Amino acid sequence: MLQNQEQPIEAISAKALALAEILSIIVSCLIAEWVFLSFFSLHRWLVIIPLTVALLFMVLSHLAYNESAYALGFRFDNFWSALRLLFWPTILAVVVILIIGWLLVGPPAVSRLLRPRLLLLPAWALLQQYALQGFLNRRAQVAFGKGAASIFVVGAVFAVLHLPNPVLTILTFIGGLIWAAVYQREANLLALAASHTVASISLVLALPLNVINGLRVGFKYFG
Amino acid sequence: MTKSKLINVLIGKSILETMLVATIAVGFYINAFPPFFHGWGEATSNAIVGWAVNNNNPVERVSVQLFVDGNFVATQSASLSRPDVSTAGWAQDEWHGYSFALPALGAGLHEARIYAVHASGNGTRRTLQQLGDPIRFAMDATGTMTDLAKPYR
Repeated sequence: MLQNQEQPIEAISAKALALAEILSIIVSCLIAEWVFLSFFSLHRWLVIIPLTVALLFMVLSHLAYNESAYALGFRFDNFWSALRLLFWPTILAVVVILIIGWLLVGPPAVSRLLRPRLLLLPAWALLQQYALQGFLNRRAQVAFGKGAASIFVVGAVFAVLHLPNPVLTILTFIGGLIWAAVYQREANLLALAASHTVASISLVLALPLNVINGLRVGFKYFG
Repeated sequence: MTKSKLINVLIGKSILETMLVATIAVGFYINAFPPFFHGWGEATSNAIVGWAVNNNNPVERVSVQLFVDGNFVATQSASLSRPDVSTAGWAQDEWHGYSFALPALGAGLHEARIYAVHASGNGTRRTLQQLGDPIRFAMDATGTMTDLAKPYR
């Protein structure tokens, strides 16, 4: 009898906990973007504080859920099958971005490829995909189950984290939906990071800086 | 790590982040709008005069700006002689006064405000803080001013 009473409470708690975890990571990211990067413009490295807090929390959460790195998607066995799922959406996105950029300002600015910052892009993309899919997508699935609802949550969260940049908000919402759907079929973060990197490079190359506003988000978007 | 412990971690993380953001907010406010500026101003027959002191650095000559009827008029460093400032104990020396001659404003009632200028963030920000109360004065057709402050001021 006691067990029967506890089961629904357990189920509700699991959903509430997953939602609280999602909210907590969103708050950490927003603090990084809207507080640290804005108020410590001369000491940007301090942004590592909220990001480290978030990362530590995610690691502890994985331990609590008994999730291995393999389960999260740090693996090679399904890399090609994940990449196959991502191939056409990524190609389509790149072509659309290139065409829009060409119509707006002409051919892609290949010279932007020489920026040293771009070398960090794959690692940055992997970190973002880990947080987005390896953590948020998995917790969204705990809260809403596999499918449209959890995929929408991931896309919406990714978009919110790119406010108030309108172009990035729209693009990340679409990208977030696609990547979340693929992750739920083939959990491979390396393939997602590759797709993310290619999409980001095409954005930087093709779209004029005034349209993407230097990929700025948070308060930095305004200044 | 169990899920019940994870809830405790979640609560701890929330408290930590709240304190972090609150500390940054207070720190930023004090840095951008330090509560150390003091000063006063009044209208004489032909100028807006007064004094300004930065209590955090009393030897500093405070940069002040004059706005009349909401419009910027002029800026200067408060470094004129004001023996009453040192006598009253606001600063150790008397060189904290300012005096702004006014442009032609037209006859009627006007309002002047004096602001202390403060630079922060290695010069990336400049903020203004009003010193004292707004100075309301009347100007007649000859350009002579009368301070409309009440007697107790």
